[in-house]
Amino acid sequence: MTDSALDGLRVIDLSQGIAGPYCARLLADLGAEVIKVEPPEGDFTRRLGPFPGDVPDPEKSGLFIHLNGNKQSVTLDLDSHEGRAVLRRLLASADVLIESETPGRMAELGLDFGDISGTCPKLVYCSVTPFGQTGPYAQFRGNSLTCMALSGLMYVTGDPDKEPLATGGEPADYFGGLHAWVSVLAALEHRAETGAGQHIDVSCLEALGSADEYNTTMYAWLGAIRRRFYSRHHFPAYPSEIFPCRDGHIVVIGGATGFPLMMAILLEQPELEEHPLFQNLWLRTLQWEEFEKILRPYLMEHDWLDLLTRAQELRVPFAAVMSPQTLFESDHLAERRFFGEIDQPGVGRLPAIGTVFRMSETPLASGPAPALGADSAEVPEAAE
Amino acid sequence: MSGLPLDGIRVLDFSQVYAGPTCTRMLADLGADVIKVEGLTRMDITRNFVMPENSSEDDYWNKAGYFLLRNGGKRSLTLDLSEENGGTGADIVKRLVAECDIIAESFTPRVMDKFGLGYDSLTKIKPDIIMISLSGYGQDGPWRDFSGYGMGLEPAAGLSSITGYAGGDPLRTGISFTDPYSGIVGAGAVLSALHYRRRTGKGQYIDLSEQEAAMPVVGYALMDYAMNNREPRRIGNRSHWYAPQGCYPCSGTDNWLVLTVADDDEWRAFCEATGNPEWASDERFADLASRREHHDALDELIAGWTREQDQYEAMHLLQKAGVTAAAVLNPKQALLDPHLRERGFFDRVETEQGPRPVPHQVGAKFSAFEMRSAQPAPKLGEHNREVLQGLLGMSEEELSGLEESKVIGDMPAPAVPLPVMRMFVQWPLVSYEQMGALGGMEKDYRKQLGIEPPAAE
Repeated sequence: MTDSALDGLRVIDLSQGIAGPYCARLLADLGAEVIKVEPPEGDFTRRLGPFPGDVPDPEKSGLFIHLNGNKQSVTLDLDSHEGRAVLRRLLASADVLIESETPGRMAELGLDFGDISGTCPKLVYCSVTPFGQTGPYAQFRGNSLTCMALSGLMYVTGDPDKEPLATGGEPADYFGGLHAWVSVLAALEHRAETGAGQHIDVSCLEALGSADEYNTTMYAWLGAIRRRFYSRHHFPAYPSEIFPCRDGHIVVIGGATGFPLMMAILLEQPELEEHPLFQNLWLRTLQWEEFEKILRPYLMEHDWLDLLTRAQELRVPFAAVMSPQTLFESDHLAERRFFGEIDQPGVGRLPAIGTVFRMSETPLASGPAPALGADSAEVPEAAE
Repeated sequence: MSGLPLDGIRVLDFSQVYAGPTCTRMLADLGADVIKVEGLTRMDITRNFVMPENSSEDDYWNKAGYFLLRNGGKRSLTLDLSEENGGTGADIVKRLVAECDIIAESFTPRVMDKFGLGYDSLTKIKPDIIMISLSGYGQDGPWRDFSGYGMGLEPAAGLSSITGYAGGDPLRTGISFTDPYSGIVGAGAVLSALHYRRRTGKGQYIDLSEQEAAMPVVGYALMDYAMNNREPRRIGNRSHWYAPQGCYPCSGTDNWLVLTVADDDEWRAFCEATGNPEWASDERFADLASRREHHDALDELIAGWTREQDQYEAMHLLQKAGVTAAAVLNPKQALLDPHLRERGFFDRVETEQGPRPVPHQVGAKFSAFEMRSAQPAPKLGEHNREVLQGLLGMSEEELSGLEESKVIGDMPAPAVPLPVMRMFVQWPLVSYEQMGALGGMEKDYRKQLGIEPPAAE
């Protein structure tokens, strides 16, 4: 049997939504035992879908399954005295707690870090919320969209003549989940040295804000306020943009050595090597609309995979614009065995998107998500 | 407050640009000693990006804001790894590996092997070494040799297929999204490996593909395809689940507000708070299904209200009523936002050109220790002597010899930016402004940020 990195670790996942559960899922895929504690009606992502055939069913939510593989499920009503007592018993044998309640709610229940740390001094207690436990927005309602807005990233995403655009897929939640995961692992290292647990306050807004590439830096170093400008990467590396092609889209990136010769070869028009817009990056950046008149017609006559492979052969770093279908059909990902497979009871075979990095000694493992309360009787501390 | 969790852990960091340096910056902030290795002829290219006042004077490569953001708090060692010096650089690396716990690199696959520095070689020097390779597409598979620029990997991970205006082309986030994302994934991978090493004494090798690391964000759409054979539609700022949701114009120029109405209670609260109680009884908007059906009409009504509102005031008004809403901040507003300020999200870093605010690299606060705040970035080769004397006990004579043969040094070659690099070092800001890619250039930005330079300047 293969070892796992986090073998022997016990995690109570009291969180709902995306951020906390994704953090706990990463811990589970790395080998931790994760007990998901859900309210009697279940984590709200059970009601969000997607569902097979669009028929809502709390045991068939694609989003829930994606975020909660490899976990056990116990239902507890924390509004009841008994529910809270069971949670305390679960925590007594746990290494990590992940929770995502509105700041202040755990204190109301008598379950905040101060209440718990006396009896569980080694517990790593991680709170994951949109805006953190303190500050003027702590009680605000938030989601990935509000975090995109307040982080400054949304303002710089989209077309210049349209409204700012959110990135798809609820990225602030995933960023928050990742930062929670890294923080929990850091706290476990700290505990290994000191024996002490602690409280971690994760803000999804700040997790996303930390991804700011150079937008706040442009203001803090130059006084320049960056705006959204199509798909273009901003520093002078034009083109670096998504264009339509015959059978989809392609990311055209000139790269360090692509111009003018390689791009002229790629576009099968050798005379372009001498064209001022190919010779001069400066000119090309400013007169990008003229450059597109040369580029677009050629792309529209060619397929993305052909463009991509020929460009990469010339060391011009084009990239693919993948969709779920092309990702699932990708030879590259298949050869790397990226997509795992799980057998989800009631649904059938589903892809697992869990091998987010490969460890030579302790590979990550995916598993199906639990039915609501499936393990209430199995977990001794939770049994009636 | 006690020590940091990675006190005593040493990282030899060959990674460049964005993803790898983000990973190792997080490790540095958690207490690790990170030694960044660069070549004099191939220093980290981000030493050329975002100069103070956009000036390429003097030793510009030691001043870049972009470089500081991801490399502050590390030590800089220059080493020529090529064969030209008889492999001296690679030999030094091997001696250093014996003193390190973690090796990080972000070359295309096989470059480390070419230097004789592949994982198998390194385990012979230090059996429990942990090595992480961050690459665009991973270490094997038909695309392994593709050069993976960060700006192409967000689309390659599938994210752009779910990002865009309704009916429009796929679009990309205004950052190289997968770079910071996979940098964090890399930091967690290293911490997981450290956890395992602590328990078993074994090191290991980590192969991280940026394309793969970010793919869970596309989870909803991937599951929808797997379950319903349905490719995603781009839906702008709307929600798969709630209505209304969107981004609406506010008073002033380029000011916006996002909001989500999650259920019928929030809908009634929204109508009351905006002074439009009659909307709540309009049967077109009676429940989620009907609000979704009449979303266009709803958007017009909402925009009619928001256009008269200040974006911050509208956020507070709606939040007070229990409605999920937020102002869309531009980068300057984010720097000045009262919540982020009170939370201390921006560190103040003292540079030779005065103090600058720098966003935290980890969105978490710990009760038992305080992570290192942002630090100045190391100058190129700043710690050559400190590292080689301190860790390898090199003599003055050896060090001078290495300097003479240009294995180490503190001056990039060439020291003057090539004409093609001029535009990278000194950005054509005025032209960007004319193109509409900048929302303004403010000469008094230091005053606004409260970071006036020292009086002597």
